[in-house]
Amino acid sequence: MRLFRLTAATIFRRKAWVICVFALLAMPFLLPTLSSAQEKPVLIQPARVLAAWGTLWVSALFWGLFTAARQGETNARFGLGDYFLTTGMSGTRQLFEMWLGVFIYLIPFTLIAATVCLLGASPADASERSMWWLSNGQYVIIFLLALAPLLALAIALASRFGAVAGFSVTLVLSVYGLYGVGYLENMLSQETNPLLEAVWLASPHYHLAELTPRLYYKLGAIPAGSFVGLVVYFGAILLAYAGLARLCFRSKSLA
Amino acid sequence: MPPSPEIILNRELAIGYKHPLAVTAGDIRLGSGTHFLLARNGRGKTTLLRTLARTLRPLAGSFQTCGALQYLPEDVRFDDEMAPATIFRALLPRQRLGPALELAKSIELDVHKNYGQLSTGNRRKTNLILVEFSLRENQGNILLLDEPFSGLDAHARAAFEVLWENSQDNVLRLVSCHPDYDSMNMPSAVLIQNSAISFLDDPSQTWSGLKTQLN
Repeated sequence: MRLFRLTAATIFRRKAWVICVFALLAMPFLLPTLSSAQEKPVLIQPARVLAAWGTLWVSALFWGLFTAARQGETNARFGLGDYFLTTGMSGTRQLFEMWLGVFIYLIPFTLIAATVCLLGASPADASERSMWWLSNGQYVIIFLLALAPLLALAIALASRFGAVAGFSVTLVLSVYGLYGVGYLENMLSQETNPLLEAVWLASPHYHLAELTPRLYYKLGAIPAGSFVGLVVYFGAILLAYAGLARLCFRSKSLA
Repeated sequence: MPPSPEIILNRELAIGYKHPLAVTAGDIRLGSGTHFLLARNGRGKTTLLRTLARTLRPLAGSFQTCGALQYLPEDVRFDDEMAPATIFRALLPRQRLGPALELAKSIELDVHKNYGQLSTGNRRKTNLILVEFSLRENQGNILLLDEPFSGLDAHARAAFEVLWENSQDNVLRLVSCHPDYDSMNMPSAVLIQNSAISFLDDPSQTWSGLKTQLN
């Protein structure tokens, strides 16, 4: 696991993760005081939920994807991929170890967001509270499952086309999956179009991993059957993106 | 006793990108110890190293390697924010970390300074320490070093030569370089000249004698 250790150590040394940790800890307490929740104390906890998970999404999509892309590009451009390849570390293994090196930072980020929700926005009612734990736990799992393959894709695309391409393509894909798919669905409800329908079906439905409204409106945990369905759906995306990432990944620069 | 490392370049091994840069005239067999790879610029030193490292396919012919391989490209570099100590800690086996840091100290490499702030020579020291202390103890090792001495001061160079001397039994080093003093002893050298790869093996040969052949 040499490349994993190098990746994790490199990210640690760059210190940009500190900003994310600070934002994840501070924003849920700072932002509600700047909003209308200040006048309606009953809104403080939902606002905290919004801020906690919103900050996590922003951190993961900007810091996470950018960091992954930068690692992919550096490995290919600066001869490290070549070096590791000659020591017997295959491209698949390089991709996996770099992905893991980035992903291990995302896990504590996600746990911080969930912990802030559990400690700072937990419902007073005992029965709601147990549901709160479950909802947050489900969110953690779905969020990590949705983000994991995007990191791999960012690394792989960056290793072949550069960090800008790796970052921007995965960011656009995520934003499209979070919001664009909803617009597409609205268009399809107005008129049927087989082509757009096919696009909608093939699109990554990341909005399904955005469970903040469930927490905000206290809708309770996702029923077990639906949750398993979500896990299978994002697991399938993970497998598809993992394959795509491996096809794209290069351990050495094309130049 | 670990098995000895070996590289065998078979006759008519052609290296290059689209067109052959150089071809072996006969079989070349390299065993443990240090072998210098000498050629003028653009004649195929890096291409031969990359071919042996299997990051580039030979255009024709074949070769065999026996041993744990490491290829250190000339332009390999780490993240600017990384300090050599962090790189060593991440990549070296724990029991080698101490000796690696000792060598770094003896050749005046500041292991706490960011890689981006190191001079070319100090970056080269970092890379060389990394590969030298990544050798596997219980098997033969092959190190393909591309211009490891460029930018290195004489003191550091001597320190690495001592290290090479002490570990030559189970390590085969193929070192591409442009020597900077005529009396440099080169008992074993692979030469690329007139698009031919040849091997010269003479305990008394020096750079002075070899360079006339390259010219």
